Amino acid sequence: MTEDYFSFTDKIFDRSGNFEKPEALEGIRVLDLAHVIFGPVISKWLALYGAEVIKVEEPEEGDPWRTASYWAKYWKDSAPFFQSFNPNKYYVGVDLKKQKGKELILELAKKSDVVVENFRAGLVEAWGIGYTTVSKINPRVIYISCSGYGQWGPLRFFPSWDLIAQSMSGVARLTGFGGNETYKLPDYYGDFYPGLIGAISVLAALNHREKTGEGQFIDMTQTETLMRMMHNWFYMELAGEDLKNTGNVDPSMAPSGIFKTRDEKFVAIAIATDEQFMALMNAMDRKDLMTDTRFMESSMRLKEDNADRICAILEEWVHSKTESEIIESAKEKGFAAAPVMDDLRMFNDEWRRERGSLVHFEDDMYGKGTWPGTGVALQKTPERFKSLSRPVGYHNHYIFQTLLGLSKEELTKLEKDHVIGYWGNRVGQKPPDYYDMEKDPIFNFERGERR
Amino acid sequence: MKEETKKTQAYSRHLISKEASEHLDNFNALLSEMMASAEGKPEALNGVTVVEVGQANYPGIISSCMLAEFGAEVIKVEPPEGDPARKISQYGVNVNGDGIPFLMESRNKNFITLDLKTEKGRANFKKLIGKADVLIDAMRPGFMDELGIGYRQLHQMHAGLIYLAISPYGHFTKKGKEFRNIPDTDLTAQAEAGYPALIGDPEKPEPRNYPLKAGVWAAAYMSAGLAVAGTLTALFFKQRTGEGQMVDVPTYDAISTWQGFSHVWGFTFEMPRVRVGNFDWCLFPYGYYETQDGYVSVAAAADADFRGLLKLLGRWDLENDWRFLYDRITDNVEKLKELEAEIKKKLAKIKSRELVKKALDYSSKAAKDPIRGKGFPIIVETLLPRQVLEEDHWKIRNAFVKVDVEKDGTLQYPSSVPKMSVSPPRVKKINCGIGVDNEKIYTKYGLDK
Repeated sequence: MTEDYFSFTDKIFDRSGNFEKPEALEGIRVLDLAHVIFGPVISKWLALYGAEVIKVEEPEEGDPWRTASYWAKYWKDSAPFFQSFNPNKYYVGVDLKKQKGKELILELAKKSDVVVENFRAGLVEAWGIGYTTVSKINPRVIYISCSGYGQWGPLRFFPSWDLIAQSMSGVARLTGFGGNETYKLPDYYGDFYPGLIGAISVLAALNHREKTGEGQFIDMTQTETLMRMMHNWFYMELAGEDLKNTGNVDPSMAPSGIFKTRDEKFVAIAIATDEQFMALMNAMDRKDLMTDTRFMESSMRLKEDNADRICAILEEWVHSKTESEIIESAKEKGFAAAPVMDDLRMFNDEWRRERGSLVHFEDDMYGKGTWPGTGVALQKTPERFKSLSRPVGYHNHYIFQTLLGLSKEELTKLEKDHVIGYWGNRVGQKPPDYYDMEKDPIFNFERGERR
Repeated sequence: MKEETKKTQAYSRHLISKEASEHLDNFNALLSEMMASAEGKPEALNGVTVVEVGQANYPGIISSCMLAEFGAEVIKVEPPEGDPARKISQYGVNVNGDGIPFLMESRNKNFITLDLKTEKGRANFKKLIGKADVLIDAMRPGFMDELGIGYRQLHQMHAGLIYLAISPYGHFTKKGKEFRNIPDTDLTAQAEAGYPALIGDPEKPEPRNYPLKAGVWAAAYMSAGLAVAGTLTALFFKQRTGEGQMVDVPTYDAISTWQGFSHVWGFTFEMPRVRVGNFDWCLFPYGYYETQDGYVSVAAAADADFRGLLKLLGRWDLENDWRFLYDRITDNVEKLKELEAEIKKKLAKIKSRELVKKALDYSSKAAKDPIRGKGFPIIVETLLPRQVLEEDHWKIRNAFVKVDVEKDGTLQYPSSVPKMSVSPPRVKKINCGIGVDNEKIYTKYGLDK
């Protein structure tokens, strides 16, 4: 008898041997000049799959997201959300506005495969550490500049946030029931999705370079990435009107919506095909509707009046069932239904832990924790967490000695001149209270005399 | 350069310094060249062959489209009657039976038919896979394995194959097996990822107070992005070692894990967040507001930015109001609401354009401040999609391109992202009829007709 498919896949995705497996991006060095979310999540992807990421921050200031936290609450003197997208990175503190600081950055850039930045458009060029300078000393470099609207065009110097990109792309007006009500896509979708596409473009450029030896410049924008995922452009062109906001209904699937169950929970149901429609009707025991010409084919079902009617019928059915009855029925008959999950329920979900979407891991500085990975499972080159974030400048001595070959004396001078530096004494930037930095072998790497 | 551009440029003193100008001139020359058509430039994934099979699974369709935009040869394999995904469309709007999402995500692809239920179809499929680098399996987990053409069988004949599996709960784990019959949709993927639990206003009358879905396919596109990132990571490993592998993407877990805030919240607070309408959990003000004649988005969360906002709104009196004197981002939503009510009142009395101009004037003046402590409160109009199309900036960047669609004239596509100087992604063609490329692909890959 052949082995069950899932027992085969469970074996090949078994996480216990992950640390013995190779890393896909081993040997790729990333110079990460980025801050907040959009840029740092690009290097999060690369770092989790084996790239060596050197994160550069302004001494005494650090990445502004270090001090941003929900309701201003912190975890071991750090912002937990900052931790979640800055694992496996080296932390150096360099003042980019000082000439010596720029020289250090160029030295690092010379030895890097990828540079990531998300300052205001043109700023790194103005500072003399942009692509046109770096490519002269390192023609193979892949340099990605992330911004709200791109490095070119009349809006280029205008500042952006996730929220602003959602507004400038039109996404901001698409969620809700219409009228004077519209909602943003939460948790900074306008940073995380464009950041993911940024990682894709770096990987595409790395693949290109592997074949041709050529590096290149990438002009990555939040707003264009959001525009690329909107269906509204075609709808306007083909239907000659704006696509309305329809609350919880997806107008491309009928029936669809989020409904309340008998046990006062919320489930989402959406029917994408005729086959799925028949499955749902089976589950609802409504054979009569299977041959109803208003509903039996998707072309008819999607017409607004018919869609409203079938949604109302579905809503009534959901009201009469519990959440688990509906999910059981979906599993058995084969239609799409899911509970509306919440933060805690997801965090405690065994499935997510088993998959490795949530990773238990013990960090040398911050101890035990459970953190979100990428969600993607790569059989032979899986992601792995090696460390959480570190205070600003934590790896100064380690990186500048091992990578740039600077001497202790040179480093002391750079420290005295405030070219390189460390954390400010603020929550988010500094080490946890309980941690003894004096005894840390990496921070004190070959340091000799204390500064 | 327009007056407004000069002002926005002045957002940073560094950009107008003398030393900067030479760098910026070189940079501008590179950029203006990058904005032109990508035609004739090399493609990043040139020589990479991708085969896609799937049943009404948009994350699969979108990921193969992204790979095709980067230059992979993508072959979508459909049963003779076509993928039912073709019929999924807003109110059923279509061109020759193909709906809006399908037309959008068919860029540069080849479409062939193969009946995988027949011996001959499977033999042809194996022949095709023998020459492919990537197979996207967006069928029900286990379906391809039952046909004898899943990863378990294919990797034995082709060790270099990257097998990208895309499904709601993934191709492994106990739950994956138990839930394998549940199909993918964007809405249910949003729900399982806890996204609607963060959207909407619980104070609205029922059912408008329900958890609310995102009005775009937030889950489908995030899943596709993760799938492509996973594939390209595996492809890089393959380039160096020759080894393929299986890559598994759970669409029902995409937003939750990649954004990750839900998990971190669950870990650090052991409770779920409650919905707070258009408030943000980290930043204030950071949201949409009604003006006298429309909507604006206001992002002025840093202390200096917030104070700048109060100044430009003429509400400096609030700065010293005892109610708001301490941390504005407290866990006291009631107090935030009071503060927001004050700001709302003021914004509602001013026209959108005037507010945008006020913020711009304020910030460009603040940029000249030697200690730079005056902040950059940002206000933009909250645009409708049709207003976006009118913006000159996107015309100059060629952010939309006209593409011939079958026999039915042209459609305006959002350009491929991002802009790349050497091997940019691009839209080359749309010709997505069922089996339109049978002749070409069957011949090229030596399949039996």
